[in-house]
Amino acid sequence: MEREGWRLSDKEWREWVEALLRAGKLVIAPVKENDLLLFRHVLMADEISVSDQGKAQWSPKEFLFPRSEPLLIYRLRGAEVDLEEPKADEREQVLVGLRPCDAAGLSRLDDIFLLEEQDPSYAQRKKHTTIVSLACDRAEPECFCTAVGGSPAGTQGSDLLLLPLDDGWILRVLTPKGKELVAGWAARWRPALAEDWDRTEERRSAVENSIQLSPLSAQWGTALEKSFGHPLWESLGQRCLGCGICAYVCPSCSCFDINDEGNSFCGTRCRSWDSCAFARFTLHASGHNPRPTQPSRYRQRVLHKFAYFPDQHEGRFMCVGCGRCLRLCPVGIDIHHTVERAASAASPEEERP
Amino acid sequence: MDQLVEAREAPERTTEKGWEPRIVAMVCNWCTYAGADMAGTARRVYAPSVRIVRFLCTGRIDPLFIVKAFEQGADGVVVSGCHPGDCHYVQGNLLARRRFTVFQALMDFLGLDRRRLHFAWISASEGVKWSRIVDEATAAVREAGPLRHWGRPVKGNSSAQPLLPDTDAGIAPRDPPSAEENQLITGHLQELVTNLLSDGTVSTVIGYTAGSLPQQMVPLFVNEPRDASTLGWNEHCANNLVIYLPQVLKKNRDAKIGLVTKSCDARALIPLIREGQLRREQIVLLGIPCRGMWNQGKMAAKCYSCSEEVSPFTDWTITPEGTKKGSLTSAERRQVSPDPRDREIASLGSFLPEERWDYWQRQFDRCLRCYACRAVCPLCYCATCISDKNRPQWIPTTIDGKGNMAWNVVRAMHLAGRCIGCDECARVCPAGIRLDLLNRGLVQEIERRFDFCSHVNPESSPPLTTFQPDDPDEFI
Amino acid sequence: MSENPYRPHLMRIVDAIEETGDVRTLRLKFLEPEIASQLHWQAGQFGQFSIFGSGESVFTIANAPSRGGYIECTFRQMGKVTSGLRNLSVGQVVGFRGPYGNHFPIEEWRGRDLLFVGGGIGMAALHAPLQFALDHRDEFGEIVVLNGARAVADMVYKEEMKEWERATGVRVVRTVDPGGETPDWNGEVGLIPDVFERLRPEPDGRIVITCGPPVMLRFMLMALEKLSFKSEQVITTLENKMKCGIGQCGRCNVGRYLLCRQGPVFTWAQLKELPSDY
Ligand SMILES: Cc1cc2nc3c(=O)[nH]c(=O)nc-3n(C[C@H](O)[C@H](O)[C@H](O)COP(=O)(O)OP(=O)(O)OC[C@H]3O[C@@H](n4cnc5c(N)ncnc54)[C@H](O)[C@@H]3O)c2cc1C
Ligand code: SF4
Ligand code: SF4
Ligand code: SF4
Ligand code: SF4
Repeated sequence: MEREGWRLSDKEWREWVEALLRAGKLVIAPVKENDLLLFRHVLMADEISVSDQGKAQWSPKEFLFPRSEPLLIYRLRGAEVDLEEPKADEREQVLVGLRPCDAAGLSRLDDIFLLEEQDPSYAQRKKHTTIVSLACDRAEPECFCTAVGGSPAGTQGSDLLLLPLDDGWILRVLTPKGKELVAGWAARWRPALAEDWDRTEERRSAVENSIQLSPLSAQWGTALEKSFGHPLWESLGQRCLGCGICAYVCPSCSCFDINDEGNSFCGTRCRSWDSCAFARFTLHASGHNPRPTQPSRYRQRVLHKFAYFPDQHEGRFMCVGCGRCLRLCPVGIDIHHTVERAASAASPEEERP
Repeated sequence: MDQLVEAREAPERTTEKGWEPRIVAMVCNWCTYAGADMAGTARRVYAPSVRIVRFLCTGRIDPLFIVKAFEQGADGVVVSGCHPGDCHYVQGNLLARRRFTVFQALMDFLGLDRRRLHFAWISASEGVKWSRIVDEATAAVREAGPLRHWGRPVKGNSSAQPLLPDTDAGIAPRDPPSAEENQLITGHLQELVTNLLSDGTVSTVIGYTAGSLPQQMVPLFVNEPRDASTLGWNEHCANNLVIYLPQVLKKNRDAKIGLVTKSCDARALIPLIREGQLRREQIVLLGIPCRGMWNQGKMAAKCYSCSEEVSPFTDWTITPEGTKKGSLTSAERRQVSPDPRDREIASLGSFLPEERWDYWQRQFDRCLRCYACRAVCPLCYCATCISDKNRPQWIPTTIDGKGNMAWNVVRAMHLAGRCIGCDECARVCPAGIRLDLLNRGLVQEIERRFDFCSHVNPESSPPLTTFQPDDPDEFI
Repeated sequence: MSENPYRPHLMRIVDAIEETGDVRTLRLKFLEPEIASQLHWQAGQFGQFSIFGSGESVFTIANAPSRGGYIECTFRQMGKVTSGLRNLSVGQVVGFRGPYGNHFPIEEWRGRDLLFVGGGIGMAALHAPLQFALDHRDEFGEIVVLNGARAVADMVYKEEMKEWERATGVRVVRTVDPGGETPDWNGEVGLIPDVFERLRPEPDGRIVITCGPPVMLRFMLMALEKLSFKSEQVITTLENKMKCGIGQCGRCNVGRYLLCRQGPVFTWAQLKELPSDY
């Protein structure tokens, strides 16, 4: 692919972001808050934290798929009902400073919310969103993007990509939408030179090589499905506590719940994040639960990401290897390890790349 | 998100006289309601802004109802019932008094404007007092203005939080154990567990093993003697393994379980025994003298003031020197430092209520409602948590200010007088919410008011299920 | 911008039948009559029914497409939404979105004998295909309905069964669990799979359509095995908690199949291939 990009200093790209803010765009970027790196709306480009801080505590998915959002507003008048649809959010937003894994995670949300049945509010937000990612200068211990087809300089899901150099950045254009966002700036910026690009390549392979975890294969889906009844799952999921951390911090998890919030006069029908680790996720009103134990719920999480989803989406995993679920899991459950164990338990002779 | 909140909220009431406060009065049927009724029949005029909700007894007024009232748009709440000693059900209001005491303390801790919450004892014959209290409450709420910040930060969008003092600044941590010590302990532990499993003393041992990340230790279930060799020990064994007991006991009510514990974790057994959740005989406590847990180069805050090397309930003590039956005999407590959080709590206390409110609303605003705090809490063992009940939907399902506020307030209330301070909730909260400060604040309040400490005596009654006729109630 | 898939059509309750103490059948008419003519469904499909202020619940569309112009559902009061629905009366407005899911392969049943086996509220899922078969009576062979309930008072479609029996070549067998009978009960007494076995249905040329609680299903499959039914001859419809109905909320899957899209109707042959996620 043709490489198009500019060689920028820290100051230069911040000026550009500043201009985006002045133009009335919402800018969302990692910000330090109480020792946490969180994606927040910023008011000044200088608030953005892109130094060697690793990835944000949780993914920025909430800016496309909010934690809770109204689907409908209802009002009752006697026996009659009025329905109103929430106003669509039309403001342009720019997500800055996503790690490549986070951007790839957002593209998984596209798979869910745009492919078969279009989710109008997601589609609307996505239309008004431009994504400026940030290549990694260093992998954290939990990172395994390379094992699931990603890269510390991956481009999937991004419109623009900032690549770090010793003394500045390359801002690389990846999509027409990205190009539009820098329109008018190209003239005053210096195009990146071949040696700049080479430097970024070197960095990329250095970071890639520092990630030791072995690649997972989409071919294992069948083996994983076969592992469904294997007793190994009992021990793999035994210590899982059924909290929602792994799902909520994950860039690609997208399951949700719908509830009416309000009273019998007026209220909203809301969609909120949900997690397959919660018992009530599948609990029938009768008390029957098809996934009655924590290991069975954890198995669902893994199979969904590494067997069912790839099966329907050209082999793409519903995991981008950010490793957050391992880092933040209260009991250190390791999804990469689980996939390897389960796949090999089901078919020990499975060939490993 | 704002749309969501707005659509659910009743609009503020403004009349030609301007804004009218909305006040919910929760009253007992026998005294205050009768008193209010009398005030009505005597045509004493009192502020019309009050909606009365009648309960059979103040004992039935769960603080959750007060939360709900604010959440649904009340600007102020009045709670009132019979005078102590006059309860129609003898002790309902005495029990309620303790709950209200703790709730008021919690609201103060969070920084709720005191003008919004009023408690009073009003008898059936005190119609005059009723109208006075209502007038006073209305005047106070009117002065405080519309409550726009239940579940919302006061100060708009900026990410700046008032700074609390640096947790451990100036207080020296203990030295972490050396790698050799850890290794020796690990060896003895593996040997002991092998023996306990082989001779059938226990059927399962729950301990720690190395996790996938550097310095990460994770829970491990050992059922076979040969698997004991994967057990490990060092200063990163953060989890409180007591949480797994209900799960194992559910499969086998009579199981005997070996549990590797630090002294802070073992404390959780006391309230669990007190609340009838398990029997002491079922647990074989494998205690390891702990010098403090470390994460990312910092000693955990709870460890500074921890005075017990091992829990006095320990069945086997494992030291670098070897394994010994029983707890450490040296009852003398070790040198401790002040808990660094006390400075943070003091600092919070020095804020204006409005600043405190803003601080907590910002914290709660981050809450993802992952319920990890509940999942790791040894005392959150309810078969169906109130947040999972939908008839009625006590805790809003929406992951927003109001829902988060309800969840965090209710959980704090449910742990008041029970929390043993293992700090697991604060450790795992992905949003970094200072649940440790919240819980500790209430622990201290309960100790001060009711002279009760959850993890001392399994025979004592929990403070919120009992009362003293002369419990303090100066806020009422 | 595309249509909001969560916006339900508004419908008025025009009739309500009390089937049992906690089961009710509602007939709903669209407030906008044009919708009625645009809406096409097939027996076995379901809808999301809205009770504003309580939420949404999934029910099978109980009337056959051959009886269009309205929508019927038979529901059992269980939790929040179904209680909210039970509190509504004729004249009030609810919402409907759908139809969702796959359907019974009725086309393939032509010329065959049909045996419907329903347990409790499971009967609701069989109502539409049964009604369809009755409406096209001459296209199918013998029709047997085995309707089982825990007790006499819990038997659904009591009145309708009399009507079904009046059709030619239709047999209706009623059964209640042991202990659930009343002194004047003249139906069978016994668990559904046992009564089914006692009927000794010939597998040849027969399709068995069954729906009921998970335990009943398990024992039914054992009974079918015993009577040498082939797994392609048996068809059921599953129930898993669902929220969106459009394949996104992520909870209704049985293995790789989403119940709201590739289900809820499965043959026993398919079930054998699936993990026990239901
Ligand atoms: C394809 C399909 C067809 C169904 N057909 C019928 C029918 O014809 N008649 C009937 O009485 N019941 C039917 N059910 C079951 C019915 O959906 C539940 O009993 C009902 O949703 C319970 O809702 P509740 O609010 O009363 O219970 P609560 O426990 O309060 O449940 C809250 C929410 O959970 C969901 N939920 C809970 N249990 C189930 C469940 N078993 N299935 C799906 N969602 C659930 C619903 O979204 C509900 O709104 C069907 C279920 C499915 C999946
Ligand atoms: S895997 Fe970890 S983070 Fe996920 S639910 Fe289980 S305990 Fe929570
Ligand atoms: S499953 Fe875990 S590692 Fe994979 S994308 Fe989600 S949080 Fe990241
Ligand atoms: S997983 Fe890969 S892309 Fe994500 S932070 Fe780590 S190195 Fe960067
Ligand atoms: S652990 Fe933290 S984020 Fe999760 S529910 Fe509890 S307070 Fe909220």
